[in-house]
Amino acid sequence: MKRLVNILMLSCQKATELIEKEQYFGLSTLEKLRLRVHLTICDFCTRYKQQSRFLHDVLGHHSHDHATNVNESLKEKIINQIENL
Amino acid sequence: MDSHAVIKTWVVSYTDGLYLRACTAVSDKAIAEDLVQETFIAAFQSFDKFRSESSPQTWLFAILNNKINDHYRSKQKASIVSKDTTFFGYFFDEHGHWRESECPKEWSDADLHLLDNSEFKNTLQKCRGNLPGHWDMVLQLKYIDQRDGKEICQDLNISPSNFWQLMHRAKLQLRKCLELHWFNK
Ligand SMILES: [Zn+2]
Repeated sequence: MKRLVNILMLSCQKATELIEKEQYFGLSTLEKLRLRVHLTICDFCTRYKQQSRFLHDVLGHHSHDHATNVNESLKEKIINQIENL
Repeated sequence: MDSHAVIKTWVVSYTDGLYLRACTAVSDKAIAEDLVQETFIAAFQSFDKFRSESSPQTWLFAILNNKINDHYRSKQKASIVSKDTTFFGYFFDEHGHWRESECPKEWSDADLHLLDNSEFKNTLQKCRGNLPGHWDMVLQLKYIDQRDGKEICQDLNISPSNFWQLMHRAKLQLRKCLELHWFNK
């Protein structure tokens, strides 16, 4: 029984890592079980999961303007250079 | 279309991805820009060798990866996922439990309609700006280009576990920043 508890026990650090992994790659059966057990007893990680999901959705709709500008000027520079080759 | 015209359309379509790949590999933006530039020049010069049945993206990334390897030939490859424990030590105690001050708090009104709010968008922009460069780039690759995780790993030459560990760090820091500057202001 103690061993079983150990197998299922997950730290919050590991649990939040699995929450991220799940979003991008999915989890193994054991990982799913461990995460589910953790989430039933940990309100903070449950909250983290909801908020991570929210960030996921927000980031999907939000562009980071700064990086885009850098790339636009880089594109221009490269196109100019190729035209002169 | 002649080779000039083809390469130009490639510059427009693939510079973003190539630049991000270069930045994560060399972490110096000026060098990254040079590498991308050299990649397109090399592609232009060996355009005859390009087989139209293969994807330009794959071809360009292969050229870039060679350039990056050249760049590191004399140096040791820098790891883009540092193994620092201090980062997690800020959020979690030695048992991996949330530190009392860092426990996620309730967010009220966390809804996508916030994206219509320019003040919120500014805050989000600032928080993203605070992330280390290559973390934000992984976010950018994933979310702006809507790319699949496995594909990004291939392009960036990182393992899936590196990818979600980067995401984990980026999300922890981003959510903390938004909580401080928006939700629990
Ligand atoms: Zn927890």
